[in-house]
Amino acid sequence: MKNYKYILLFATLYLGAACTDLVDDVNDDLTELSADVIPPEKFLTGAQLANVLAQVGHANRISGLYTGQLTGFAAQYKNIYDYTLTSEETESTWNRIYQGVVPQTRLIISKLEGENALLHGICQVMEAHVIGTAATLFGDIPYEEIFIEGLEDPKFDEQATVLANVQLLLDEAIDNLNVAATGVISEDIYYNGDKQKWLETAWSLKARYYMQTKEYSSAYSAAQNGISTASNNMNFIPIGDSSITGSKNTYFTLLNGSRAGDIGTQGSYFSGLLDPSGTTSRNHAKTDETARFEYMTVDQTDGVSNRGVASEFEPQRMVTYEETMLALAEAGARTVDFNTGLGHLNTYRQFLNTGAFLNVHFNARPYTYSDYIEADFQAGGLENADNIAQDRALLREIIEERYVSGFMTYMPFDDARRLRSASESDIAVSIPFNTSTATVHPERLVYPDNEINTNANIPSPLPDLYTVTDINQ
Amino acid sequence: MNKSLHKLILVFLLTLGHQGLHAQQTITGSVKDQNGPLIGATVQVVGTTLGTVCDIDGRFTLDGVTSESTLSINFIGYVTQTVNVGNRSVIDVILEEDAAQLEEVVVSALGFKQKRDNLGSTYSKVKSDDIVRSGEATLINGLSGKAAGVKISRSNGDPGAGSSIQIRGQNTIGGSTQPLIIVDGVPLGNNNILGSGNGITGGRTGGTSQQSRLNDINPNDIESMQILKGASAASLWGSRAANGVIVITTKKGKSGKPTISYNVTYSMDEINRRHPIQNTYGQGENGTWIANAANSWGDKIADRTGGGDEVDFFGERFVSADGTTHYPITNKNSTATYADRNFDQVFQRGHFVQHDLSVSGGNEKSTFFFSFGKLNQDGIIRNSDYDKHNLRLNNDTRFNDWLGMSTKASYVNIQSNRIQQNSNLSGMYLGLLRTAPDFDNSDYIGTYYSASGESFPRRQRSYRSYLGARENPTYSNPQWTTDEQIASSDVNRFSITPQLDIDPTSWLNFTFRGGVDFFSDKREYFFPKNSASSRNVGIFAEDVIRRRQVNFDAIARTSFDINQNINLESTIGFNYNERTGESQSLEIRDFQVNTNFPTYDLTTDQAASSLGKSAFIRRSNRGYGLISLALYDQVNVNLSGALEAASTIADNFFYPSADVAWRFTQLPVFDNIGVLSFGKLRASWGKVGVQPSAHKSQTLTDAGFSASSFSDALDVSLFGGGYRLDDDKGNPNLKPEIKTEYEVGTDLRFFDNRLGINFTYYYNKIEDILLDIPVPSSTGFFNQYSNAATMENKGMEVDLNYDIIRNSDWTVGITANFNNNENTVLDLRGAESIDLSSQSISSRAVAGHSLGALWATQASRNDDGTLELDANNFPFAGTELGVIGDPNPDWRGGIGFNAKWKNLSLNVLFEHSQGGQFADRTRIVLYRFGTHQDVSNEVTLEQDLRNVNGILFPAGSVVRGAVHDFGGGPVLLDEAWYTSRGGGFGSGVIYDLLISEDASWTKLREVSLSYTLNNNWLQETLKLSSVQFTATGRNLLMWTDIVGVDPESSQFGVSNGFGVEYFTNPSTRSILFSLKITY
Repeated sequence: MKNYKYILLFATLYLGAACTDLVDDVNDDLTELSADVIPPEKFLTGAQLANVLAQVGHANRISGLYTGQLTGFAAQYKNIYDYTLTSEETESTWNRIYQGVVPQTRLIISKLEGENALLHGICQVMEAHVIGTAATLFGDIPYEEIFIEGLEDPKFDEQATVLANVQLLLDEAIDNLNVAATGVISEDIYYNGDKQKWLETAWSLKARYYMQTKEYSSAYSAAQNGISTASNNMNFIPIGDSSITGSKNTYFTLLNGSRAGDIGTQGSYFSGLLDPSGTTSRNHAKTDETARFEYMTVDQTDGVSNRGVASEFEPQRMVTYEETMLALAEAGARTVDFNTGLGHLNTYRQFLNTGAFLNVHFNARPYTYSDYIEADFQAGGLENADNIAQDRALLREIIEERYVSGFMTYMPFDDARRLRSASESDIAVSIPFNTSTATVHPERLVYPDNEINTNANIPSPLPDLYTVTDINQ
Repeated sequence: MNKSLHKLILVFLLTLGHQGLHAQQTITGSVKDQNGPLIGATVQVVGTTLGTVCDIDGRFTLDGVTSESTLSINFIGYVTQTVNVGNRSVIDVILEEDAAQLEEVVVSALGFKQKRDNLGSTYSKVKSDDIVRSGEATLINGLSGKAAGVKISRSNGDPGAGSSIQIRGQNTIGGSTQPLIIVDGVPLGNNNILGSGNGITGGRTGGTSQQSRLNDINPNDIESMQILKGASAASLWGSRAANGVIVITTKKGKSGKPTISYNVTYSMDEINRRHPIQNTYGQGENGTWIANAANSWGDKIADRTGGGDEVDFFGERFVSADGTTHYPITNKNSTATYADRNFDQVFQRGHFVQHDLSVSGGNEKSTFFFSFGKLNQDGIIRNSDYDKHNLRLNNDTRFNDWLGMSTKASYVNIQSNRIQQNSNLSGMYLGLLRTAPDFDNSDYIGTYYSASGESFPRRQRSYRSYLGARENPTYSNPQWTTDEQIASSDVNRFSITPQLDIDPTSWLNFTFRGGVDFFSDKREYFFPKNSASSRNVGIFAEDVIRRRQVNFDAIARTSFDINQNINLESTIGFNYNERTGESQSLEIRDFQVNTNFPTYDLTTDQAASSLGKSAFIRRSNRGYGLISLALYDQVNVNLSGALEAASTIADNFFYPSADVAWRFTQLPVFDNIGVLSFGKLRASWGKVGVQPSAHKSQTLTDAGFSASSFSDALDVSLFGGGYRLDDDKGNPNLKPEIKTEYEVGTDLRFFDNRLGINFTYYYNKIEDILLDIPVPSSTGFFNQYSNAATMENKGMEVDLNYDIIRNSDWTVGITANFNNNENTVLDLRGAESIDLSSQSISSRAVAGHSLGALWATQASRNDDGTLELDANNFPFAGTELGVIGDPNPDWRGGIGFNAKWKNLSLNVLFEHSQGGQFADRTRIVLYRFGTHQDVSNEVTLEQDLRNVNGILFPAGSVVRGAVHDFGGGPVLLDEAWYTSRGGGFGSGVIYDLLISEDASWTKLREVSLSYTLNNNWLQETLKLSSVQFTATGRNLLMWTDIVGVDPESSQFGVSNGFGVEYFTNPSTRSILFSLKITY
């Protein structure tokens, strides 16, 4: 009788032994959502914020340090300013581009399944914007093979090819936007789904990249469809309660946190150019930069000391009327004639003279931007004291205006590299070196650490900070 | 496993058939020791499967015995007796305790007692007394230095702070490196859960120390503790056992008169090492005093005029809580310095009081053990504390000769407050050590009045904001950190282990064992308004963490002699285990009310609050079997296997192991060799694993994320919310990572067992290591959790003990242990390195290097390895990061000395760690801040020299700095150097020239002296059986080249990275007194 007891117990033991049945289907995540169930537009805001960080974040500040616009006073920014740029410094920007923007916009497009041409076009413009930025900053970059399931090491495409593909993508975006119905997309924190503004932005981006590849006549025609008024600028607009971090001007956030004291405009070439009392000042009878100088000062002390471009709620410019007008001016002067260039420059100066670009703290400060006349650029004229050719003198003034107006965008860094060749040295802004020992200026950002470590297709030998990218050869 | 079932049935039938062959008789008897009956002692007829187990009275009845039979009477821990039956029908036996063998009983991974000499794998055993005597308030630290190959490191001296346990080096890269803890046969969670939001709530590199849940056990409840180091001993736990297993047995009651024991311990703790702070130069830059400056590269304090500072009475001001008013300084005249005063403002003598009461007793059928423990600890930093209450009730009941039951239940409550530390602008040490020596940190809180007379109450005054003029003081005043900020933790934990034992026959035993272990940890973090950094708006965050583990084992064991020379034991079992967990986080920020009362009512703005939750479930079940063969009382062979299915893996996995032990001294040839009293050769092989983390198979989405390009975060939840495709790519093809280990060794005892030496060599290879492997971001993802890496460990372990003297008055002995683990990361599937920590100096896995390799920017070097120098003959940082050091020691060892004379005993334990590098980054950063003593020297130049900026200093100049030659001739290291490449932050710092090259240390880990009073007067008049007084010194002395900090400190707490320290709260040394009264 006793034995039955054991047999029963043995049986119990074996019934359950190592069953996969007991453990099946418990590995599905308990809190995170699958992308399948999320509406496409819900991925847009995050992608746009990542694009903000790619356009007006760390890499943008580095470009400012390398073009005489900003001074690095302490910590990382001091080292970068002294031309020590390690591969870890570019990591976050690269990540925002390749993870923050592109997979998200492509996911949106894939979820649209051919519907919603407006959102489709917006996503294409965003991809073109961020990939164009990546190509101009880093040179050859992965593009054709990115975000492909099962592909582990995307190959690096040539910079010029990427930029050509960006132009094609913008053409597709424009086609989509043209056919799109007008609508409102509340997740679009740039334009709220305004089709017209996105179209103008697409054309302005085309002009931007044609300028960088020195296709000036294409740039000129693209810019004519570009952003037509400053109120159509693609800006990052900070929002929210004061002192809640995470939704504010990125320069403000930086300086109001642990980076106080590290970076600002004090002592920079840019500052000296605007400062009416500076020795290298560009102020003269027709130009008073007092208000713009004060507005465009970044006080390194801390965030709250800033009331201008780096103040808490100040919008940050990403694709602008200013840039578009100055592309018209430069490309017009180069490919049409002197008067065309001058006309666009004066149109732009008339805009400046409205003071509309200043915020409330500075629009009552002095400013003057009178029209230039041809004589100003003739030998001995206001803008040609050193008697260079009239056309070159005009271009030099347009380039300097791009350098000033482009503060806090990549335009000064892009122009500096575009115009560094001997044939353009007469019109380029003469950016000083940051250290006494430097002999050449940075020509790109170095590839990030993680991509170097993990991508077998990383260019070898690795280009350094001073290796000129293809389009600027 | 079916085979073993068949075999059992076969044996069953054989037994039945056996019974008719001889003339049979029935005998009865009893088995006792000097104290009474031995319940469960086995009585076996030699050469047969016939046998029985003694009942609760120690009695047995055996049928079918012949007059030729020989009985073998066994009880673990006692000398086995054999008795010839002859014509007796009643046999009473008194067994004697085997003094030598008693030490050698170990508890297996399944919780059963085994004779150590029969095992082919290594066990380290730590006795309860040794842990309690160590004087550590937490269990884990009490293990330091006591077993070869077991490395205990406590990350800092905070009360209750978690400690890391490493057995035979690190055995995984991505997962937890902490061993599996088995208490009374059931796994117990030893979680070390980081805060959810780095910095705010205590992540890996900032925040506060977190606790190790193993420390929830009261050391006084522990009967014994074994460390199963090898894969073979642990393999029955399959994918839980890769980091080794610690087997803890809690105390059992003893029948007879109740024993009441009360123990009280008082400890005094103080800081172990202090960073040397200079008192020569003031706040400022370029030799000039500047108010609120970050650095102390200002003027020479002795050159000031002296007397009071000149101030401006008519503008802004700061009025402190006690009314002291601070005005803007217009001329810095004072020569007073405050480094010591500022230190004393926040440091104190720490202390703890621990009370332990235990009651043990019962009758012959049922025993109980009850204990209550109460620990109140105040740390060496103001307001850091740790209060713990433990309750335990263990009951063992024997209903009859075949049924027994036990229940072990415990409850613990821990309340503590932690102090912010590490890379953290609200950290105490960061604020203190960066403070200029001529700044007085007193009057840390008060009201700021602006020049226009507006008042701002509860402002913080610190050296970077000396009038409290800003909401964000940049760094917290250290007393603000200790007195105004809160980082509390409230843990409640309940564990219960019921067990049923059925012994139907002498050779068969069933055990059914359950276990439920549950805890919750509620952590609150409060930063009032005007705290440093972005927290200046006020933050109140709460994490509620819950974990539950349910475990069930059904085990059948058999044991019988196949013939006179062969004994077979087998175990088969089934295990079910489920772990679930949930973490919820709540946060409000931007307080509308400025007060120090933490409540969610501080803001009414819903936009200023956030919620988060994560959860997991993982379930596994396992069938396992174990066969042990004992041959000719000389050779033991153990084979085991576990077949496991888990929710995180697609298929079943099998974990085999084998070991063999040969007691060669049983050979007759050794009979006459008196020197060698025991000798065993052993070898073992086994596989163990690490389960994949739960829920890693899918690619999902992030909701409400925040991203930054560099200190400029944007948070999507503030822009109406949104999602993004996760940067972690799912992996549906995960397998467990598998560690395969072999070890060979010998246990030798000489001179009548007085000298014992154990030697082991081990090698293990860990394949398919699971980790978040970085993938090129250009794929759209950052990481994919994969079976990606391979690593190996090899090393030698030596344990030695020598009883130099052992007689009735004197016992003198020494113990020693040694281990040299050599770890190499063999492959990371193409990735050059895996970051285990983050930060400027990170601890990483790098292919071809030991795990934990220190990784940072390093000097640009020429092809021949010499420094590449710039035009001024200074080195500069290269653009690529690389390995700058190895924090793993070459070897570690401990040596202990114990002496006992009558009732007086002395124990001394030294621990040594040889070699390795240490990134004491606090020192490096303090160079930049100019507060470290190393940068307070003045040098008179003997020749013209240039500094790093190329500025020429003519001969004869007196400069604050040092002259150095990097290989291109002497250069001047001055402020320009120490604030850029030679110190501070950022990618330009040349870390390989700055870290400490030799992290060797020796510690006097423990010295204790105790006296036991047990005389007649005490016993008869006071009815006390004994009173014991003990004085213990803990970590009293340390010898090391590392300055200012304990080289065992770690910024990363109990996580996989180590060897880096950065404003980590300091370690302690202690003196304790305890009194133990036993009734």
